[in-house]
Amino acid sequence: MSTPPATPDVAASLYEVRQKIYPRAVHGWFATWRWLFVIGTQAVFYGLCWLPWNGRQAVLFDLAARKFYIFGLVFWPQDVFFLTVLLIISAYSLFLFTAIGGRLWCGYACPQTVYTEMFIWVERLIEGDRSAQIRLDKAPLGANKIARKLAKHAVWLGGSFWTGFTFVGYFTPIKTLSFEVVTMSLGGWEVFWILFYSFATYGNAGWMREQVCKYMCPYARFQGVMFDPDTLTVTYDVDRGEPRGSRSRKDDHRADGKGDCVDCGICVQVCPTGIDIRKGLQYECIGCSACIDGCNQVMDKVGYPRGLIRYSTQHALKEHWGWRQMLTHIVRPRIIIYTVILGVIVLAFVWGLGHKSTLRVDVIRDRGTLAREVEDEQIENVFRLQVMNVSEQPQRYTMSVSGIESIAINGPTEIEVPAATTKSVSVAVRVPEHSAKKGTNTIYFDVRSLSDDKVSVHEKARFLRP
Amino acid sequence: MKSWMVVLWPSFLMAGVAEGVFFSLVNPQELYLLGEVVDYPPLAAYSIGFLAFWALCSASSWLTCAMHTNAEAVNHLPPHHGVHQ
Repeated sequence: MSTPPATPDVAASLYEVRQKIYPRAVHGWFATWRWLFVIGTQAVFYGLCWLPWNGRQAVLFDLAARKFYIFGLVFWPQDVFFLTVLLIISAYSLFLFTAIGGRLWCGYACPQTVYTEMFIWVERLIEGDRSAQIRLDKAPLGANKIARKLAKHAVWLGGSFWTGFTFVGYFTPIKTLSFEVVTMSLGGWEVFWILFYSFATYGNAGWMREQVCKYMCPYARFQGVMFDPDTLTVTYDVDRGEPRGSRSRKDDHRADGKGDCVDCGICVQVCPTGIDIRKGLQYECIGCSACIDGCNQVMDKVGYPRGLIRYSTQHALKEHWGWRQMLTHIVRPRIIIYTVILGVIVLAFVWGLGHKSTLRVDVIRDRGTLAREVEDEQIENVFRLQVMNVSEQPQRYTMSVSGIESIAINGPTEIEVPAATTKSVSVAVRVPEHSAKKGTNTIYFDVRSLSDDKVSVHEKARFLRP
Repeated sequence: MKSWMVVLWPSFLMAGVAEGVFFSLVNPQELYLLGEVVDYPPLAAYSIGFLAFWALCSASSWLTCAMHTNAEAVNHLPPHHGVHQ
C-alpha cells in the first residue's frame, strides 16, 4: 500500500518504520521462571499428543467424528456448554491474575512470548548475543553471514514444521499423521494446516515478535482496565533512581545529588518490546521482568541494593510501603469479587463434569403418523428415540414408558448401543382408549442402563389421542 | 505490513469463534450446499468453513479500516491542498 504524503502525524503513527530489536540476554530469578514456563508449556504441547489413553490418543479433537477426547472424557457437540464455561473460566482467571500481578500471562505463558523466547535462544546460539548480532547485520554479505543466517532460518523452519505437525496432530491422530508423513500420503488439507501453522509460528516468533503484542494483541489494548493502583506491575522506582546519571565508583552519588540509576541502559537493551520502563507503565510492556533481572545484575555490580526496578504497585511507590504493606493491599474488593465468582464457576464446572451423564436421549414424535387406533381399542403413537451412548463402552439399555394408566411399549424394550455412538429406534407406544384424555397427554420415557442403575434418563413426551 | 495485520488478525480470531459456534451447532454433513448434500471429507468441510468465515470477517475488518481513513488520504492529496481542506 502506498503511503500518501498527507497528514504526516497520522502517517507516521500508522506506518511507523520498525526498528529491529536485539534483546540482550539476561539471567536472574524472573528469567529462570520464564524458562520454566517455556519448558513446561511446550512439554505439554509437544508431548501430550503422543500420550495414549484407553487405546486412543489421550487428547484428540476428532473433527471427523465430531467428538473431543480429553483423557477419560468424551465431549460431543451437545457439550458445547462446557466449552463455553471453560472459556469463561479462562477469561475470569485472566482478569484475576491481571488485577493482582499485571500481565503475567503475557510475560510467561502466552505462546507468542514462549515461541519468541525459543527463537531468540536459537538466534543467540547461532549469531551470538546482542552486540554480535548487530555487528553481523551491519556486516557486508559474506560467507560467514550467509552461513549463520541460513543456519538460523533452517533451525527456525525445522522447529516451526514440528510445531505445525504437532498442532495438526491434535485433530488427526498423530500416529496416523506420522505414518502419512513418512509414506507421503498426507491429505491436502492436512498439508495446508501443517504449513499454515508452521509459517504462522515462523513469522510470528521469528519476524514479527513484539509487533504482535504491540499491534495485534487485543488483550494488550484492554488490559489497562483491569489495572488499579494496587496492581503489581514491573515498576521503576523514580524516587530512588532519579536523577539518573553515570558516576565513578568512588563518588558518593547521594552527595552529588544523584539517584541510584546509573543510566547504563541495560533495562532498555534487554526489553523484548524495546521500551524504556523508566518512562513509567506503558501498554507495550508485556510484564516479562527482563528489565528487573537486568537492573538487579547491575545493582549487584555497583553495590547498590537490588530492586530499583521491581514488582510494585502505584500505591506502594507513592506511600513508600514495604513488601508487607503492599501485599496486604492486594486483598481488595475487586480481587475478592473476582475470586468468589471464579471459584463458583470452577466448582459448578467440576460438578457438571463429574455428573455428566453417559447417556442422552432425545424423543421426537414420528411426524408421519400422528395417532392411530389399533386392535383392542387401543391408541398408538410412534416416537423416535435417539439414544446416545456417550461412554467408551458398549451399553445395553432398557426403555419404559409411564404417565398414563396401562401405557406400554409395543415391541422390544431393550436396545444395545456401541461405544460413543448414537442409535435411533422407532418405538410404538399403546394406550387403552379410555385411559387417555382427548388431545395431548404428557408421558415420560425412562431409559436405563442394564449394567449401571444410576445411568438413566427421564424424558418428557406428548401422547396424542384423536 | 501493519495494515495487513490489523485486517487479517482480528478477522482470524473472529473466524475462530464463528467456526466454533457454527460447527458445534451444525454438523456439516447434514448441510445442503446449493441443493446438494455436502459430501466433502469432514476436514475439508471444516477448513473451507473456517477460510470462508475468515474471508468474510476480513472483508468487514477491511471496510472498517477503509472507512477509518481520512478524506485526504482517500483523495491522495498532499496536506493543506487549498480547496479540499
